[in-house]
This record gives sequence, C-alpha cells and structure tokens, in this order.
Amino acid sequence: MLTFVNVGVILTIAEAAAVDDHRMEGRLKRVVTTATAVAAAAMILTAGCTPGSGGSGSSDPNTFEFWSFTGINQQASVDAYTSDHPDIDVKLTEVGDTSETAQALTAALAGGKVPDLVLIQGDDMPKFMQAPENFVDLTTLGADQMTGDYLDWVISQSTTEDGRVIGIPTDVGGMAIAYRTDLFAAAGLPTDRDEVSDLWPTWDAFMDVGKQYVAATGKPFLDNTPTSIFFQAVNQGSERYYDANRELSYDKNPQVKEAFDLTLRMYEAGISGRIASWTPGWTAGMSKGDFAVMSAPSWMLNAIKTNAPDSVGKWDVATIPGGSGNWGGSYLAIPARAKNPAAAWDYIATMQSPEGQLAHFLEHGALPTTPSVYTDPQLLAKTDPFFSDAPIGQIYTESVVNIEPFYIGPDDATIGTELLNTLTSVEQGQVEPDEAWDTALTNVRNALRG
Amino acid sequence: MLSPATARKDTGRPTRSRQIQQGVRERLAPYAYIAPFFLLFFIFGLFPLLFTFYIALFDWNPIGERSYVGLKNFSDLVDDPRFWGALRNTFSIWVLSTVPQLLIALGMAHVLNHVRLRAATLFRMSMLVPYVTSVAATTIVFAQLFDRDYGMLNWLLGLLGFEHIDFTASPWGSHFMIAVMVAWRWTGYNTLLYLASLQAVPRDLYEAAAVDGANGWKQFRHITVPSLRPIIVFTVITSTIGGLQIFTEPLLANPVGGLTCGAARQCQTLTLFLYEQAFGRFHFGYGAAIGVALFVLVVIISAINYLLVTRIRSERP
Repeated sequence: MLTFVNVGVILTIAEAAAVDDHRMEGRLKRVVTTATAVAAAAMILTAGCTPGSGGSGSSDPNTFEFWSFTGINQQASVDAYTSDHPDIDVKLTEVGDTSETAQALTAALAGGKVPDLVLIQGDDMPKFMQAPENFVDLTTLGADQMTGDYLDWVISQSTTEDGRVIGIPTDVGGMAIAYRTDLFAAAGLPTDRDEVSDLWPTWDAFMDVGKQYVAATGKPFLDNTPTSIFFQAVNQGSERYYDANRELSYDKNPQVKEAFDLTLRMYEAGISGRIASWTPGWTAGMSKGDFAVMSAPSWMLNAIKTNAPDSVGKWDVATIPGGSGNWGGSYLAIPARAKNPAAAWDYIATMQSPEGQLAHFLEHGALPTTPSVYTDPQLLAKTDPFFSDAPIGQIYTESVVNIEPFYIGPDDATIGTELLNTLTSVEQGQVEPDEAWDTALTNVRNALRG
Repeated sequence: MLSPATARKDTGRPTRSRQIQQGVRERLAPYAYIAPFFLLFFIFGLFPLLFTFYIALFDWNPIGERSYVGLKNFSDLVDDPRFWGALRNTFSIWVLSTVPQLLIALGMAHVLNHVRLRAATLFRMSMLVPYVTSVAATTIVFAQLFDRDYGMLNWLLGLLGFEHIDFTASPWGSHFMIAVMVAWRWTGYNTLLYLASLQAVPRDLYEAAAVDGANGWKQFRHITVPSLRPIIVFTVITSTIGGLQIFTEPLLANPVGGLTCGAARQCQTLTLFLYEQAFGRFHFGYGAAIGVALFVLVVIISAINYLLVTRIRSERP
C-alpha cells in the first residue's frame, strides 16, 4: 500500500513538475520506472520470504519439515535422531530468533505452507493457545500416555481447558547467577561457588555485595537491572501478571510491584553497568569483563559460551537470591495442516521422552522438563568446564523443583516487555525512578489496548 | 476489434479494411504496452490498498477470530500516545535528514559541475556508492560507530575529554543518528539529480556572469539555484514521501527494543509502529488503521506540495 502511494505520488509530481520542462522528462520517467521496479521487487521479496517453502515431495512419509529458532542447537537433536533412524529425512530450518519464528509460524498458519513440526518459545505459547484448532491435538497421537512424564505446571501451559495438548515441553529455564571468578578475586570477594551463594541468600544481600564490589573496583557489578534483576525476581513469585482466576492482575499484584521496586533500588545503588542485554556492548562487555555478574537462566549458559568464547574458565555459577523460579523453556507442536504429522510425532515421542531429554541435557545443557530424571546420577554429576566445572545439573534442577507455578496468559509477553522497557528507560536516564511505576502501567495499558 | 469474418466480407476493398484494422491496432497498442504495469499495480497496489481499508474496520487476528468493530481502531489511534509519538519521531527524523541532505547535495552538484574539475566522472560516480550499498549493512555499521561504550564516535569524544554520549537512549540522539544514516544514503543520489539538471544550463550564462565579475557564490546564488528550481521541488517531494516511510534504519539502528526502536519508543517511526502492531503483535486491524492514517497523511502532504509546484510553475517566465 505504501509503495502504491509512493509510485502514485511520483507520477503526479512527474506530471506537474516536468510537463513544461522537456529536459527533465527522461529522468523522471526513469525515476518512475525505477520506483515501479523497486516496488514490484519489494512485493515479490515480501511474498517470497516465508521460510522453508521448499515445497517438493513433502508427502513422502519419511520426510518432515521442522522449524526451530536459532541459538538452541536443534541440529544436534536432529542428528541424534537421524543416526538412529537413517531412513528419515528431517528438513530443519532455523527461522530466526524466538519471536521471528513465532511470527513466521503465525503467517504460515494464516495461509501459507506450514511445517510438520515447530519449536515455540514458552512466552509465545499462550498466543497460539488462543486458537488451538491450528494445531494437532497430540493426545490423538499418543501424548495422553506421556503427559504424566512432565512437570505439571509446564505441560498445563500447553493443555487446553478441554484437555487437548498442543505442545510437548522440551526444556525449562531454571535460574541462577553467573559470575566472573577472576573479577571477584580482584575485588577481594570469595570465588568458591558455595561461599558466593552464601553471600546472597536474599536480593538485599546481593545488593550489598554489589556495593562492596563497586567500592573495591570502581567498575559496575552487574550488566543491567531490568533483565538481570526484574525478569528473575518477577519469576520467583507465586503469581505474575494474571491471578489464579486467569484475570489480569499485573497492576494489583504486590509481587510484581516488589520486583519492580527492587530493580529500581538496585539501579539507585549504582551497581548496574546499564548495558542492555542482547546489545553489541553487552556481548563485548561479557568477554572484556565490564561486569562481574549476570543472570543465568539455564539457556543463558549457551549464550555466554557463544558470545564470549575467550572467557572460558573465568565464569562460575552460583545459586540465585530469593529462591526458585523459571524463566523460559520451549514446546514442540504439530500444525493441523502438517503433511506428515506421524513422522513429526515419532520425533517428539523419541526425543522428548525422559531418556531423550536427559541425553540432550548431558550433551547440550538444556534443562529437562521430566522430573523423573532429576535424580539421575548422570544428571547430578554433570559439570560444565566452561563454568569452572560447576555442577549445573544440580544447581538448575534445585531451582525448578520447588517452584510455585503461576498462570501465563496471552498478554504475558506484552506486559513483560513493557515493564522491562520502562526499567531500561530508567537506566538510560529517560524516566525518573519515582515516576517509573506509573509510566510502566501507562505503557502496559496502551500496549494492551492496541 | 474486427473479426476475421468481417474482414473477409470486405474483400472488395481490402486496403481500407486493413487500414481500419491497423488503426484499431495502433490505438490499442499503447494500452497493451502499459498493461503489465497496471496489471501489477492492480494486484500489488490497488487490491492491497482497498483491502487495508477493509481490514482496518475489524479486530483481525490472522490465525484466530475476526470481528467487525467499525471505526474503533481509528478512535483508539487518536487516543494512543504511541501513535502521536511515532508521528513526532517521523517528522523530526525527516526534517533532520532532509534539510542538510538537500543543502549539501546542492553545494556538491555546483562543485561537480565546475568546468575545471579533474576526474569528474570518478567523483560523479562515487556519489552513488552509498545509494547502492545495502541499507541494512549501512545501518549496522553506523549503529556501531554510534555505540555508547565501544563506538568510534564516542572513542573520539573520549580522546577530546568529553563524556560518552548514549545516542540511542535519548530521542534527539537517536533521531540524529538515524538522520545521519538517511542523509548519507540519499545525498549522493540528490546530487546527481541536481547535477544532471545543471548540465542543461547553458555554459555561456556562467561565462557571461564571470565576465561581469560574479564570484562563485554569486554564480551559485543567481544562476545555479534558480535554474534548479523545478528539480529542487521534485527532490523535496520525493524525500518527503521517503522520509514519512523510513523503516529499515529505525528497525536496525537501536539494539534495544527491536520493533519499538528503543525502550521508550524514542525513535519508532510510523511505518515501524505499523509493522510492530501488524506483524509483531498480530493486531492486523490496528496495523491497517495506522496504514490508512499514514496514507491520509501522505495525500495531504502531497496535495500541499502539488499546490506549491503549480504556483512555482506559474511564477516562471
């Protein structure tokens, strides 16, 4: 539509400005032609960018298409599966980051070619749960035999009220704190992970350690407060943005306000590097040691390894202040229009069984959603050399077994983003801390209305 | 068109019928030549345009329910501070990028048109390099130059003893940053438009002026600028339309916030707001309403421009 306006207006102008000026005519014609060509090209590009539209013989029972997001290494799982099933051809496409994958899936469900299997990030799941008819009810394929294997509160998020299961959980995001042992030593703080964990039983104690660190080194203690404090603290409550009756309660729930105020206090304590997560400065700071601690939900370990490979051995993992909680996790789903749901289901049933998830954890570190393997000696013995041989199996399972599950609704992702963005604006000096809560509520209300 | 049967009946006067046929063909030919454009235009231009108006009347979830809501999307839009913010950002970035861009282009065209310029073709061609560089690549490089902690610009500021500036955090900083990207990309293009127009200005005008003792500035002021007037108007209009549709730069310039261009939407333009609502949050109806608002805006501005153009034309001798 916009392009139309562009071309149309240029035509008008060409007429108006150049009719009596023959010198200009040729050039304007060229401009118009170019604009048209560009418009057509843009349209074709837009139409053609749905991923994975290979399109050939997908009705082959031994082939299925799988959309995943980047950074979660599904290729490894696919390789493990195909080495046991050499006759199966899995066409894996890494569409983009988690929200890009969800966007591509939405576009495909709305009228494009859908994959046979798709990975959906936990926060995006409620949106798809609003229209469960777009997905295969997995209980018809045998999921009813398996639902008991998973953490109740995780599988319940992909189960509709009338009992249809549209997603099988692949991992959960247990929470912890990653810290730099070299920087802790330089600041005169203990470096042993048990001693460090003992330093901060509560978030207030954590803040005191931060102040100590800043006083000793003059450098920021943690990367930023919105992601590292707020997104962790808000996930430690018994309710988040919805109450037990599934009604919106983000503006009334004292736990949300508490997490928000805690974040502001951390910022005012001057321990934050004010380097927003996922920015180039953040990844650079991770390798250069611009900050000594950062939040580390289990999937973050992979991000640290990828973004700061040269900091190997300088990190360790300690328990999180304030108790257990979950942040993140993903689901595998089969779209209703999938050409080969049977092959996709066999993949889910094999790879997401408790044994399958345990094997994946031991190789790649995503925390299983199947509590039966949490006491498995292999899991408890799992250490990670990148993080000074921290027993990550033990640390992360402890953070999810005692969890108090809360309802996650369709607007959770939006609310979380707005609250986080307001806190980021505080760190960037654009919003005063004492106005932050009101600003945040206004922003959420605007976002929910639109 | 005449059918073959009719043509055969007319065997008595074959030349005349062929003449008629030829005449019809000649009259139809131009339509056939322009048909591909209009065909594409109907499919990719007119249909999406009308369909956008239609969707704007609905609460439209692409994979879920759709319900007719009348003009609610538009009344919501009027009440939505995010919309007015995006409008403000769009105009601010447009002014910051267009004004310097056209002034610099004018000056450069004057210099490049100089008779005694050596390697003129090289300089003229190099004007187009920013234009043919991918917008995404440009944006990513510029975003790194402007980075708070490790950007080259802040490194220079640090050397000179100034505090680092967090360009992406504040409204003016992020607008400035995006305006620089836009100006960098389009200045050369506009320079070439001006230059092409300038080459048609008779040399003897400049020579006569030089003989009469007019210096470079006076020549620029009294010969270059007046003869470029129509093309100046044209570039103002095209860059206005382009400026109202800036999308890629704000999408990629700010590492914080993605579709909002910053945590406080400090550099979110109208097109980016449209994209966020329609394709980030899947509020197709609301996104379409933003599209319609943008359409109306462009029509109004084009109308103003059209009036200005007509006036300038009638002022000409």
